[in-house]
Amino acid sequence: EVLDPDAVNNYALAGKLLIGADGKSLTQTSIPRLMNAYDEQAIECALRLRDAGVECTIHVVSVGTDPTKILQHAVAMGADEVAAIPVDTGTVDGFATAALLAGFVRSLGGADLVLCGRQASDGDQGVVPALLGEMLGLPIVTIARAVEMVSATTVRVTRVTPDGDEIVEVACPAVITISNEFGDPRYPTGMRTMKARKVKPQQVAPADLDLGEGGARARVTMTRQFVEPIIGRCEFIQGSSPAAAAQELVSRLRADRTIE
Amino acid sequence: MSNSVVVCTWERGRAGVPAGVEETLTLAHKLAASAGLELNWLVAGPAPDQALEIAGRYGVAHLDRIEDSKLAEFQPDVCVEALAQYSKQQAPKLVLIPQTFDARLVAPRLAARTGAGVVMNALTLELEGGAVKVTASAYGGDTRVVYELTGAESCVVGVLADMLLAETPEGGASVPAVRQVSVDLGGAAERVRVIQKAHFEGPRLEEAQIIVAGGMGLGQKENYRLIEDLAEALGGMAAASRPVVENGWADSSRQVGLTGKITHPALYIAAGISGASQHMVGCSAAKTIVAINRDADAAVFRYARYGIVGDCLEVLPELIRAAKAR
Ligand SMILES: Cc1cc2nc3c(=O)[nH]c(=O)nc-3n(C[C@H](O)[C@H](O)[C@H](O)COP(=O)(O)OP(=O)(O)OC[C@H]3O[C@@H](n4cnc5c(N)ncnc54)[C@H](O)[C@@H]3O)c2cc1C
Ligand SMILES: Nc1ncnc2c1ncn2[C@@H]1O[C@H](COP(=O)(O)O)[C@@H](O)[C@H]1O
Repeated sequence: EVLDPDAVNNYALAGKLLIGADGKSLTQTSIPRLMNAYDEQAIECALRLRDAGVECTIHVVSVGTDPTKILQHAVAMGADEVAAIPVDTGTVDGFATAALLAGFVRSLGGADLVLCGRQASDGDQGVVPALLGEMLGLPIVTIARAVEMVSATTVRVTRVTPDGDEIVEVACPAVITISNEFGDPRYPTGMRTMKARKVKPQQVAPADLDLGEGGARARVTMTRQFVEPIIGRCEFIQGSSPAAAAQELVSRLRADRTIE
Repeated sequence: MSNSVVVCTWERGRAGVPAGVEETLTLAHKLAASAGLELNWLVAGPAPDQALEIAGRYGVAHLDRIEDSKLAEFQPDVCVEALAQYSKQQAPKLVLIPQTFDARLVAPRLAARTGAGVVMNALTLELEGGAVKVTASAYGGDTRVVYELTGAESCVVGVLADMLLAETPEGGASVPAVRQVSVDLGGAAERVRVIQKAHFEGPRLEEAQIIVAGGMGLGQKENYRLIEDLAEALGGMAAASRPVVENGWADSSRQVGLTGKITHPALYIAAGISGASQHMVGCSAAKTIVAINRDADAAVFRYARYGIVGDCLEVLPELIRAAKAR
């Protein structure tokens, strides 16, 4: 669950984003809480694999204060099983989150594929999937735009890299992170959404999970959040017409030796 | 744990120097000097020719080398194994990694192997009473978050070098000692098989000196031609905001921003772009930003050196004409 990044962005664009009294939370109540968009796409990925004929059970798990709503959304999209691992979000970091998720995957007896979003759109950290993969001893493939099973145990992934697409194959089980290029997630019908509201996610207590040696101790604490002021120094180019303004701008840029 | 900070790189980089290494050494040197830590640079795999010279300028004490044929080309499993063994041997307090595409995968994997805390997108670093304080970008640049790493374990920090400047410290030069560090990569094998490599030819936005970028203010696909034409007239490259790419008006290799390219041109012209921070992180390092927007209050003007308030469909053709007239 994240704060709607578009709403946060709109406040920021207007210069009206406020930090709460604790010095670190965004408290404007009009900012909705949503499922991280990349995570919706990760669910979409699972659903497309199933649509392509892969027989599977799709579990969706979330670590958070009360992720009921987003898990119900997952059910409406088509998830089979949903689980919440309730924690005080102020006390976990990426490491602890990954340790809890690893414990959850172990409690299922493992998974054939673990699908994550490329990053959470609040912190932009993008560390949980790689930590999780290492904790489970699984290979990790990041930033996927397409995922396809090419045999019962081999998955082919198209990755979006700065040099264009890279195609890789890996044996299951593996961890894969989904990028926005994957395409839009399906939008559940009103009927499915209504039905999903009655679903109560399974509650999994951290204490009931096998967390391995390290446990789920957080290493990183967020102590402060702030908005960096941008000091504008824009010189507006006036002109009696678009042509005059364009001419003036080009002369300025030539005078500054920015262009030839 | 030893009192050292180490910068880790494993690629020679396109320019012969690992991407972001000088920016990262800039942060590392400041931290090491103020907190009395030893500064080292680990090069895993082939070292860039200028490694010693660069290391010396930033006051690096040891240029650590891991040489192994398996490290000739980047392979994630091998690279993580090498860095993990190095970290266990040397036990640095802080591991800094310039945040490239590959580093985003390597840094958290390394942290899991060594039990370290990990923070990405770092912009500043401080050591205060034993705690490492990292200021990082969040919400696509809308906010900054301060993270504290207090535990006894080391920490791994991804440095957003693309948004920082390299500054050679004054009076901090050193003559680095080269140390060969041996690790055993016999057991390391790649589990992910590359079927088709990414292949990019031609000019790169990341290296362009002049960029003309179009946003949704263009109104429709056909008008993206104006962006391409102005880019051509100026001898630069055309770029776009994310929704323009999502609408299929421009190729995804042209996207600038958080989930696209981070650019550093001398001139960046943004036409019909609102100035969302997720876009601006990809161009705020430009020396001169010009904004054309019909809304005088658009956020993009806060970043711009020059602004024209007006309809980009009227202004762009005139700019093309003016740029062509010499
Ligand atoms: C997690 C995340 C990652 C993102 N990553 C990226 C990214 O990498 N790159 C990116 O670009 N965005 C990214 N975004 C999206 C970003 O937040 C903005 O939505 C996007 O940059 C807006 O694009 P725009 O400025 O083209 O469109 P808009 O915001 O719609 O702005 C259009 C602008 O054009 C102006 N305009 C309209 N008509 C005209 C005209 N005729 N003449 C002149 N001006 C006109 C309007 O005043 C307005 O300012 C991301 C968002 C999220 C949540
Ligand atoms: N609290 C959480 N619960 C479930 N999954 C998470 C949680 N935090 C992160 N993830 C997964 O890890 C991805 C990257 O998150 P992050 O490392 O926080 O940027 C997300 O897109 C999710 O798929």
